[in-house]
Amino acid sequence: MKQVLYCGLILGLVPFQVTALNFASIAGIRPDLTLIAIFLIGFLGGEIEGLLMGVLLGCVQDLFSAGSLWVNLITKGMIGILAGLLGRHLASATPVTVCAFLFVLSLLSGSTAALWIRVEDDLSGVSQVIQSVVLPQALFDAALGTLIYWVMPGRRRRESEFGDEMALFGR
Amino acid sequence: MLRALSGTTRLVLLLLILLLSVIFLLPKQTRAVLQAIGQPVSAVIFFPVELLTALEQKIFGVWDEYVALRHVREENRQLRRDLGSLQKQNADLRESAVAAQRLAGLLEFKEQFVPQTVAARVIGRDSTNWYSGVILNKGDRDGIRPEMGVMTTAGVVGRVVKTGPFSSMVLLMTDPHNAITGIIQRSRDEGIVEGTSQGRARIKYLPLLASVRVGDTVVTSGLTGGFPRGIVIGAVLSIQKEEGELFQSAEITPEADLSKLEEVLVITVPRSPDAHADAKIGKS
Repeated sequence: MKQVLYCGLILGLVPFQVTALNFASIAGIRPDLTLIAIFLIGFLGGEIEGLLMGVLLGCVQDLFSAGSLWVNLITKGMIGILAGLLGRHLASATPVTVCAFLFVLSLLSGSTAALWIRVEDDLSGVSQVIQSVVLPQALFDAALGTLIYWVMPGRRRRESEFGDEMALFGR
Repeated sequence: MLRALSGTTRLVLLLLILLLSVIFLLPKQTRAVLQAIGQPVSAVIFFPVELLTALEQKIFGVWDEYVALRHVREENRQLRRDLGSLQKQNADLRESAVAAQRLAGLLEFKEQFVPQTVAARVIGRDSTNWYSGVILNKGDRDGIRPEMGVMTTAGVVGRVVKTGPFSSMVLLMTDPHNAITGIIQRSRDEGIVEGTSQGRARIKYLPLLASVRVGDTVVTSGLTGGFPRGIVIGAVLSIQKEEGELFQSAEITPEADLSKLEEVLVITVPRSPDAHADAKIGKS
């Protein structure tokens, strides 16, 4: 079942992002659905799943972007690993923590990509790009990602497991 | 942190990180490999993109034709069917007329100005917020190659930066990573047109003594890139001339409405056969 879902994401997520998501943009900024998906996969499924899906979805995203063929592949792969590590080591995951981590990771990934893209030309205007593109997108990603996490069945299972563990320790 | 992982998982993770490091450290060497992998993947992903574009058009068609008129229909139950069908017919006919007019204009323009072009439809936008780009439904199989110029009847749109078997990626002229050689049509002063982060364009490196005026038309110079000479880029909006600078620059409003692109022409051969013949004679 999971494999089918992942295949569906690889085939459908980027096409959805380049077509239908244009109507969900605010001031020309769209949320990065692939980043949200990779974060949630890594967070709930572990580092390997996060990294593999990050690399695959990042590769597809690069194919439908005007930039170099490796920027998203690497940044999204790293997001997958970091999300997996966070998911493994975080004792209590609530929508608020997911929102905070997603915001920070989106900001980190966006700033890294902005720096790499500008390094190829020159470093002028990076701060402007971070202010006008990276920051609004991080806010957008965090809000949408939290909403998706909120409605996901995996979240309740993870939170109830945590509740059971706490009950075992008598807390 | 890695200690918590099992041996195999740790190995797989490290191998994948190593692979990513190789891609990061040797981007030029790995580009060919990534391109080879990307070609079939892009061909497969193209079909969901086409499907979603068609679905999106259908949904918006339904919205325009039916949902927006629901209240009118409730008030006029008796006239609902006639009115609805007539409005639908009317909208269909208008849409067809507008499309026919647009396509006829495109065809006429194609015949008049540019000898070899391929008409393509815009099916999507860049998958990231980093670039101002559009995706076209024509690719390698239709003869489209990177660096080819893209235009509409109004003027320059951008240039092709990536191609797949069935699709291609166009970087719009308003993207800061784009550069086209242009000239001020009235004074014939030459400069480089680059995109700005505000979604406009700027012609740079104009000589200090160049007489540029607000409203002047900027056209392609035809010297480099995939454009023939004389395609409209835009009109001068403001001029920046600072003391101590060697050049002046001017902000341009693009002539083509880049936010509402539907059909475009990809210039496969930027110069007419006559121009090629002239160039050959010149060389000999």
